[in-house]
Amino acid sequence: MSIYGDCQQYLQPILDQVLAQIKQLNDGYQQRTGAKLYEHLEGRVKSEGSMVEKLHRKGYDQTPTAALRACKDAIGLRIVTNFIDDIYTTIALLKAQPDIAIVKEKDYITHAKPNGYRSYHMIVEKTVNYPDVEGNFPGKYFIEIQLRTIAMDTWASLEHEMKYKHDIKNPEMISKELARVADDLASCDVSMQTIRKLIREDQ
Amino acid sequence: MKILLSEDEPQLNHVLEAAMTAVGYQVTATFNGQEAYEKAKNESYDVMIFDIMMPIMDGITLVKKLRQAGDKTYIIMLTAKAEIDDRVTGFDSGADDYLTKPFSLKELMARLRSLERRSDEYAPKVLEKGNVKLDTEKQQLSSTNSISLSNKETDLLGVFMMNEGKEFTTQELFIRLWADEADASADEVWVYISYLRSKLASVGADFEIVGEKGGSFKLVRKGS
Repeated sequence: MSIYGDCQQYLQPILDQVLAQIKQLNDGYQQRTGAKLYEHLEGRVKSEGSMVEKLHRKGYDQTPTAALRACKDAIGLRIVTNFIDDIYTTIALLKAQPDIAIVKEKDYITHAKPNGYRSYHMIVEKTVNYPDVEGNFPGKYFIEIQLRTIAMDTWASLEHEMKYKHDIKNPEMISKELARVADDLASCDVSMQTIRKLIREDQ
Repeated sequence: MKILLSEDEPQLNHVLEAAMTAVGYQVTATFNGQEAYEKAKNESYDVMIFDIMMPIMDGITLVKKLRQAGDKTYIIMLTAKAEIDDRVTGFDSGADDYLTKPFSLKELMARLRSLERRSDEYAPKVLEKGNVKLDTEKQQLSSTNSISLSNKETDLLGVFMMNEGKEFTTQELFIRLWADEADASADEVWVYISYLRSKLASVGADFEIVGEKGGSFKLVRKGS
């Protein structure tokens, strides 16, 4: 029996639908403006193993309801953009989608985490043509969306690497350097954003 | 302060070294220009005090060589010659100040104290204004968020933060910060103002730089 219960069969199709929906937003945006909304888009259904581990870690019951309602990241996607503004443009477009409701937002770009982490996190609830874990039809599923620039994405993968390596000789120094380089990357992101704005104003 | 002294008269050299060491300065005493040049090449000092007439390498040659090598340390020349032309030669070769021998030790010490004040008080390492902190050494701007700045952005924001409400023309800023760059154009002022505006906004600063492209700019509190 899957930790997601009967709903397990719907998760991948829902992920595919939301990916297609966002691609469509991008196509429309590209037709209107000539520029793309994001550089890449990826998604995943959280593996059964990871979900079981998370439920255990959080002290939740090992039930499909806990996996799909208490935990809100069974379906997750990441949108990686070229420029900071593109993140906020994408968010506005997502918010305008009739089948997507915003549940929670955390702006770690305006308020970076102390370690330097920057990203925009959203939990949304999407209405779908499948039943959900509570038996509603049409059902509702949580989706976690992370939005960040390429620079923030690169930084996050470096930080991830450090977090899971336990034999780093000088972790304090590496952490300090990571925090500093996060500020440097933010500076580049903001400068590139500014240059793009200056170019567009001149046109 | 770390001071490099070069004076070939042993007695004067000793007196100067003793007087400066007594008030807590770290003094490196040398007896000719060549020796001083070697020291200056390998270590950084806050002030250098050189006699003009010295064997092996004289003080004027020494100053010229240091300046050519890019050394920007404050240099005081000691000279027995009180002729205007000699002072002019000293300044033109790159010295910042001079004292004519015989000079009063009290005056030299007062000048050093004045320099010390200037470097400590007039060039603070961390500037604070409103809800924003600018660390000019780390080149980091922080408030509710933090971001790095380039050299030029740090210098430009420093000018504004130390002069809230004062207006600067594009030309004034250009002369102040871009004077050393032969291929720079005054348009760069606008680009850097634009960078700073975005970066101030990204850390959530409660003040902003107002002004139009090519015009005058000033720092004002938001909503004022």
